[in-house]
Amino acid sequence: MTTPILSVRNAVKRYGQVHALDHVDLDVADGEFLTLLGPSGSGKTTLLSAIAGFIRPDEGSIHLRDREITAAPPEQRDFGMVFQGYALFPTMTVRDNVAFPLKVRRRPAAEIAARVTECLALVQMEQYADRMPQQLSGGQQQRVALARALSFKPQVLLLDEPLSALDKKLRADLQWELKALHDQLGVTFIYVTHDQDEALSMSDRIVILRDGKIQQQGAPGELYNRPRTAFVADFLGKSNFIDVSVSSEADGVFHCQAKGAQFEVDAKGASASQVSRVALRPERLRLAEPGQEFLPATVKQVSYLGERCQVIVTHDQLGELLVSCPTWKTGINPRAGLPVSIGWDRDACVPLTND
Amino acid sequence: MPLSTFRIFFQTGAWLIVAFLVLPLLVVVPVSLTDTSYIGLPKEHLSLQHYVNYFNSPEWLHATWTSIWIGLVVATCASALGTSFAIGCWFLSDKASAIARWVLITPILVPPVVQSLGFYRFWVKLGLIDTSAGVILAHTLLALPYVSISVFAALANLDRNIPRAARSLGASVWQTVLAVIVPAAKPGILTGFVFAFIVSFDEIVGVLFITVRRVTTLPKQIWEGIQDNIDPTIAAVATLLVILTLIVTAIGALRRT
Repeated sequence: MTTPILSVRNAVKRYGQVHALDHVDLDVADGEFLTLLGPSGSGKTTLLSAIAGFIRPDEGSIHLRDREITAAPPEQRDFGMVFQGYALFPTMTVRDNVAFPLKVRRRPAAEIAARVTECLALVQMEQYADRMPQQLSGGQQQRVALARALSFKPQVLLLDEPLSALDKKLRADLQWELKALHDQLGVTFIYVTHDQDEALSMSDRIVILRDGKIQQQGAPGELYNRPRTAFVADFLGKSNFIDVSVSSEADGVFHCQAKGAQFEVDAKGASASQVSRVALRPERLRLAEPGQEFLPATVKQVSYLGERCQVIVTHDQLGELLVSCPTWKTGINPRAGLPVSIGWDRDACVPLTND
Repeated sequence: MPLSTFRIFFQTGAWLIVAFLVLPLLVVVPVSLTDTSYIGLPKEHLSLQHYVNYFNSPEWLHATWTSIWIGLVVATCASALGTSFAIGCWFLSDKASAIARWVLITPILVPPVVQSLGFYRFWVKLGLIDTSAGVILAHTLLALPYVSISVFAALANLDRNIPRAARSLGASVWQTVLAVIVPAAKPGILTGFVFAFIVSFDEIVGVLFITVRRVTTLPKQIWEGIQDNIDPTIAAVATLLVILTLIVTAIGALRRT
């Protein structure tokens, strides 16, 4: 990575006995779309608040390029911020909301007017400039909040679950728009969410947090295809887990023993001694007539989702496994009680290390 | 809609309550128009002599003016202090601020006589007896809870992220308070200002305890009028106040629609 625009070093924040941040190190590249992903209580919002300057970490430091900002008040950091509840100023019109950061910076009136128009156009809200925030829908308010946070050309835009208050369809639309806006402006985005779909669809890089620690970070595809721990495998998408013991290793392939099954697993860089479990994505499992695949099983339950069909099958010793197959290419018509067989490719299994 | 017994019962009850509330107020109107020189209903004809007397009496006019300017000063002081207090508590929102809020509303809970006795004892030591400053200070203390309660109400639904948003956008703490929080609290501040003025304008027990001769407010003048000579001018003053209140209320109601 080239010189990071923002770096967090060894940040610690304690609330009583709980570590909200437990020695976190994070570098953010200039122009990156970085997502902090984790369940509630994982420390993602605490980390964002520390970056924004709303809380001060007990230990560690935060640098903006080569300037230390650990103790700087929020107004001296030059970060735009967008909140879950929009946080628009209720007594100001849309125009005045967007002009606010420029007015406190005492920019000339003509420049403010031009910039406000430009920013409202950016989020397609020009025709609402004279409305009050209460007269707008949730999605429109969040667009205004976005324009307001971008109007002063901040170095970094911080987004704290900006889409969680919106309904599902609008959320999907705004995901596309946010991503397009990021690509268009080249501003660094730091995005906090607990929604894995948002994280996967928009980010350049995802940082997964748990109990105040960074669990794993990487590009969306990398994390999805190569989770290192069961927590990541389960949090980012769904996974089946099979306890295994590695009986031998040859040419980057493990020969694994599970209860009542033997199969090969691509090592993918893991060392045999650490592996005691593998993860299997439901969409990588194949469902077929009995005898066609290597593992006999029985259908327990079927859930039809339109484009996909989710099937829970039971195996005598491995227990329940979730299979997800496209409806149009299910070779068989699954129903409860039907004997089937399941199988998967060698590279579908991801060896996990213990968390 | 047919009038059921139920509806008749409750409508009659409602009108009786309205009458019970309003009639004692309206009694002062005929009394104020009496042609006699004592308090009573008009004997032979209606007369405006007591209104003329009010507008020609230096004592009455002076007392009225005293009440007005003291009320305005009290409303200003109480609004400034109460608003600062409420905004501060809103920012803190911790246990200490919750306790402070309870402490601040005690003037509403303590009986006025007890409170006034306290004022008297203290004001003697401070040398504030029979001064306008003493009355202003006492009334400001009495009016503070009304301002802070109405500002708290105005801020209750304000998103807690709003000051954070303002700070992240480059505003200092003071800019945030003045440009964002105070405008949001404005309806509460205005209500509090009116309440504080009324509390001061209306207050009599404290004034009787802490003033002697030099400071006389309108309620005190009315009180002394009743004690000394049962002057019907009191009824004229009361009628004027009722009319004034009706006008202000009507303006308020019209502006809202």
